Amino acid sequence: MVAQTHIEVVMPQMGVSVSEGTIVKWLKSEGEATKADEPLLEISTDKVDTEVPSPADGILDRIVKLEGETVPVGTTIALITPTDAAAGKSGLLPEPASAASSAGTQAAAVSVPNGPGGGRTFVSPVVARIAAEQSVDLSLVPGSGRGGRVTKKDLLDHIERTVSAAAETESQPQAAPAPGARSQPSSAPHFETPGERQERETPGERYERMSQMRLGIAEHMRRSLDTAAHATTVFEVDMSRVVEIRTRLKPEYLGTHGVRLTYLSFVARATVEALRNWPWLNGEVRGEEVVTRGFVNLSIAVALDESKGLIVPVIRNAEGLNLLGIARAIQDLSERARAKRLIPDEVQGGTFTITNPGGYGSIIGTPIINQPQVAILDVEALVKRPVVISDANGADAIAVRPMMNLCLSFDHRLIDGAYAVQFMAELRANLQNWNEERY
Amino acid sequence: MAIARDTEPLGSSFEIGELGLGRAELLGMYRNMLITRGIEERGHILYKQGKIPGSFFTGRGNEAASVGVATAMRPEDGGTPLHRDMGVHVTRGVEPWRIFAQYMGRVDGPARGRDGNVHLALVEQNLIAMVSHLPAMMPVAVGLGLAFRIRNEPRVSVCWYGDGAAARGDAHEAMNFAGVRRLPVVFVCDNNQYAYSTPPQFEYACANLADRAAGYGFEGIVVDGTDILAVYEQAKRAIEKAREGGGPTLIECVTFRMEGHAVHDDAFYVPSELFQEWSKRDPIGRFGLWLSEHAQLDETEQSEIENEVKALLSEAQQRAEASPMPDPAELEQGVYAESTEAPGGTDA
Amino acid sequence: MPEMTYLQAISDGLRQEMRRDERVFVMGEDVGVYGGAFKVTVGFLEEFGPWRVIDAPLSEIAIAGSATGAALMGLRPVAELQFADFVSCAWDHLVTVAAKQYYRAGTPVPLVLRLPSGGGFSGGPFHSQSPESSFTHIPGLKIVCPATPRDAKGLLATAVEDPNPVLYFEHKHLYRRIKADVPEERYTVPFGKARVHHAGDDVTVVTWGAMVYTAAEAAGELRGEGISVEILDLRTLQPWDKQAVLESVAKTSKLLILHEDTRTSGFGAEIAAQVAEDAFEHLDAPIKRVAAPDTPIPFSPPLEKAFIPQVDDVASALRELVAY
Repeated sequence: MVAQTHIEVVMPQMGVSVSEGTIVKWLKSEGEATKADEPLLEISTDKVDTEVPSPADGILDRIVKLEGETVPVGTTIALITPTDAAAGKSGLLPEPASAASSAGTQAAAVSVPNGPGGGRTFVSPVVARIAAEQSVDLSLVPGSGRGGRVTKKDLLDHIERTVSAAAETESQPQAAPAPGARSQPSSAPHFETPGERQERETPGERYERMSQMRLGIAEHMRRSLDTAAHATTVFEVDMSRVVEIRTRLKPEYLGTHGVRLTYLSFVARATVEALRNWPWLNGEVRGEEVVTRGFVNLSIAVALDESKGLIVPVIRNAEGLNLLGIARAIQDLSERARAKRLIPDEVQGGTFTITNPGGYGSIIGTPIINQPQVAILDVEALVKRPVVISDANGADAIAVRPMMNLCLSFDHRLIDGAYAVQFMAELRANLQNWNEERY
Repeated sequence: MAIARDTEPLGSSFEIGELGLGRAELLGMYRNMLITRGIEERGHILYKQGKIPGSFFTGRGNEAASVGVATAMRPEDGGTPLHRDMGVHVTRGVEPWRIFAQYMGRVDGPARGRDGNVHLALVEQNLIAMVSHLPAMMPVAVGLGLAFRIRNEPRVSVCWYGDGAAARGDAHEAMNFAGVRRLPVVFVCDNNQYAYSTPPQFEYACANLADRAAGYGFEGIVVDGTDILAVYEQAKRAIEKAREGGGPTLIECVTFRMEGHAVHDDAFYVPSELFQEWSKRDPIGRFGLWLSEHAQLDETEQSEIENEVKALLSEAQQRAEASPMPDPAELEQGVYAESTEAPGGTDA
Repeated sequence: MPEMTYLQAISDGLRQEMRRDERVFVMGEDVGVYGGAFKVTVGFLEEFGPWRVIDAPLSEIAIAGSATGAALMGLRPVAELQFADFVSCAWDHLVTVAAKQYYRAGTPVPLVLRLPSGGGFSGGPFHSQSPESSFTHIPGLKIVCPATPRDAKGLLATAVEDPNPVLYFEHKHLYRRIKADVPEERYTVPFGKARVHHAGDDVTVVTWGAMVYTAAEAAGELRGEGISVEILDLRTLQPWDKQAVLESVAKTSKLLILHEDTRTSGFGAEIAAQVAEDAFEHLDAPIKRVAAPDTPIPFSPPLEKAFIPQVDDVASALRELVAY
C-alpha cells in the first residue's frame, strides 16, 4: 500500500565539499514517533560527525538506509509520515503517477511503495545487472518507465549524477564518466562474497571495515606527506613563568568564566602572536603562488574517545582573542567535538594547526601537516627537568624547571629552516617572557 | 503396345569383336562382375556381424547391367549411379577397400562417414554420389550434360534410375529438359521389376518404361539386363550417339532383383517361381558360360580369377577395418565450402 | 557514380559477372528471348548467346537440379525461378541435394538461385511470399536479402564467388521504386555483415529487404518525438551478423525485429531466441517482433495492407517499446 504524503529525510551535506555520509546510529526505530528538530540519527562524514534532526512531527514510517551504510548527499534515508496525515493512512490510495523528473538528485515526485506489488518494482535484466555491479539501491532511483519502472536510462542517469557529484570532491578522486558513455559506468567497488572473504582470512586475523572518518584521515595523511616537504624542528621551552601565571589565574578563570585554563591555551595565544611576524607559517602554497593572511584560523586537534579518530575544530580569527578568549574557544570546541555537535564551518578553513599529544606523556613528535596549511605545532608534555641556568654572576648551576618541547613540522617547499627556527625562537620567547598585559 | 525396340541377344565372338572388345577386355568385365558380387556378398556377412551400421543394399542380379554400361563409358564421361549399380564404381576403379570402409562408416570411405551404403562417388571420376530421394540425381545428371554442352565438350552424362523412381516428377522434368535441349545424357533405367514390394503393374501403366522416351522426343530401348554384352552394345551406341550430338537415349535394362529391397527385407511378397526362373539367368553365370564357349575360359583360369578376387576382397576388408572411425569433434566442419579449389572441388 | 534502380543494379552486376567469368551462365524461364519476367536480363541473350542465357522449360526441379549438376562440373550457374513462391517446387532438390552435397560428399556446389520475393502490389498468395525462413533452417545453404541497389549488386558478386548454394531473395517491390548511386566498377559486399541503415540510441530495429524502408519511415516519425532509433539491415540471413545485433542491443537494450514474412517461425523468431540467450542481461524490455500475421497473403488491397507490416505498425510498436 502506498501513501502519498511522506516526508523524506535526506543525507545532509556537511560542508561544501562533502559528498556522502555514513549512518552511524538510528536514534528512533520504525514506527516510533518523532518531533521536529529532535535528533533522529547520528551520521559520520569525513569532516565531522553529527546528529541529524527530524524534519517534522510524525511517525518514522520507514528506514531506507541502515546503520553502516554510506550514501551520497541528498539520498533519501528515511520516510516520515507527518502527524496530520498519519491518521488518514489506512485505506487504499491510488498509485502515484510515474512521471518523475530525472533532473535533480532526488526522486521527490515519485513515492516509494511499502513493499512488492507496485509496478515500479519490476526490474529488467539489464537494470538488475547494472544495479548489482554499481551497488545502487534501486528504490532510490526515479523511474520513468511503464508503471514507474526504473529503466536503464533512469539508472544510468542516476549513476552519472552520483559519480559526477563525487568527482567534485578533492578527497574522492574519481574519473567522471566519458560523455555519452552509457553502457559502462566507471569502475565499481568490488563486491566480495562471503566465500571470497573466507578465502583470504588467515586464522587469528580479524577484519573490520574502516569507518568513514578513518578512511578520510588515512587519505588525508597520505596526501599530506605526498604534498608537503616535511621537516621538523624541536625547541625546549622553560615554562616556569607560564606555570606561575596559570596557577594564579586558574581559580578566577574557572570561577568567574567557567573556563579551564590549560597550557595549550597559553601556547595557542603565544603562537598566534608569533605568527604575526612570521606570516608564511600561516600561509598556503597555491600553484606557484604563496597566500598569506591577515587572520589566523587556528585549528586545534582533538582526539576522540576510543581511538575513533580525531577532529580538528577551528578557532576563527584567533588573532582577535586574548588568553581568556582562546581558552574559552578551545574548551567549547573540544566539548562539542567530542559530543559531535560541531557545525561544518567549525571544521573548515584553518590556517595553522596545534596538536597536543603531550597530555599523554610524549616529549617529541613529528606531526603531519594539516593540508592545505604549511605548518603544524606539536605541544609535548610538561616535564620537570634539571636544566643549567646562569645566576646573576654568570655562574652555572643546575635547577629544576618545568620544561616543554614544542615541535614544529613545516613545509620546506615554502619555509626554510632558518625561517622556522626563528619563529620558534620568538614563540619560545613569548612563552618564557609571558606578557600578561599584552596577552 | 511396346514401341521400344527390343535388342537381339549377341552371339558370336566376331560380333563381339565388332564392338571392340578383345579377350582381355572381356575377362576384365567378368572380373569386375565377380568383384561386384563378392563385395556385396561379403558385405552381407559384415552386416550380420554388426560391422556395418544402418542398412545394407545390394544389386544382386544387376551386375551385367551396371558393369556393361560402365565399360562403355570413357573416363571423361560422368554420371549418377544408384544403389544397384555398384558395378559402375568397381568398373570405374573405386578400390574395394574404400567401398568396405564406406559401408562401415570409416574415414576412408569416399563419404568419410558422413553418408552411408552406396552413397559414394569419386568426383575425379566425374561421378556424383546419390541421395535417398530418388530420382533426385536425374536433374543433376542432366546438369552434367548441360555443362558439357555449354562448354562444347565431347563428354556424356549417364543417368541411372529405377522402375520405382520413374514415377516421380524429377524423372519427367529431367528427361523433358534433356530432350528439349538435346543434351548429351544417356538415361539407364534399372528395371529390376520390384520397387520394394511394388511390382510393375502398380508402378507404371505403360508396357515398357522405355516407351516414355518418345514422350520426351528421344529413343527408348529395352535390353536384356542379364546379358552383359547386349547391355554393352546398346550402351556404347547410345553414349557415342550422345557424344556426337545425337541427344539422349533411354535404355531400359530388364533384370530381376534377386534379393530383398535391402538386407532387412526377405522379399516374401515375390512369388518364389520368379526367383527360380531368374536365377537361371544369373548374369555372372551367363557370361561365364559364354566366355567358356567363346573365349576359351577354362576351369583353371576361372578358378584363378575367382581366387584372385577372393584374395583381393579379403585384403580389402582387412584394410577397411583398419581405417579409423570419424572424429565427433569434426562433426560441424564442412557444412560450407570455403572454396571450390578444395579437394573434391571441381574447378575446371 | 551512376544512379541505378535496385533492378538495374542487379542486372548490371549480373552482366559484369558474365563478362568477367565465362563459367557464369543464366538459366530460368523466359530469361532469354523475353529478357526475364521482370526484365533483369534484357540484352543478355544477344550478348552472351543461347548457351549462356538458357530458356528453361517450366521445371523448377530441372532448373535447380541441372544448375547443381553444372556447378558440380565447374560452371557457375545463376539460375532463377520466376517468383520466390515457386521455390517450393524445387525445395526438395535444394534441401536434399544442393544443401548436403558438400558436407557428405566433399564436392562444392557453387550455384546462385535468384528468387524475386515480397509483396505489396496485389500479387496474391502465390506471387508475394518471402519464403526465406525455412531455408535458414537447412545447413548448407546461404541466404541473401539485399535492400539497397548498392548491396544488391555487391551481394550478387559475392554470391557468384561463393562456392556454396546461395538463395538470393531480391525484393520485387523494390525493383523500380528504389534508386541510389551504385559504383560502376565491380565490388563485393560480404555475407554475414549487417549494415547500419540509421544509427540511434534508444531502440534497435533489426530487419532486411523492403522492410528497411518501412523501418526508416517509422524512425523518421519517432525522431520528431525525440526518440532515436537504430536500424540494422542484416543483408544476409545465413550467415547473419549476430555480433552487430548484440552490440546494438547492448547499447539500446531494446530490440524490435521486423520482417515481411509471417510471424510464426519467421527468421525473427531465431534472432529473438539467440538475443534472449546471449544478451539477457542487456535487455530493458521484452524483445518484440513485427511481422505479417500467420495467413496466406491476400489479394485485395485493404487485406494486403493489413497483412504487410506498415509504417504505423512499426512506429507504434517502437513507441510501446521505448515507453516500457
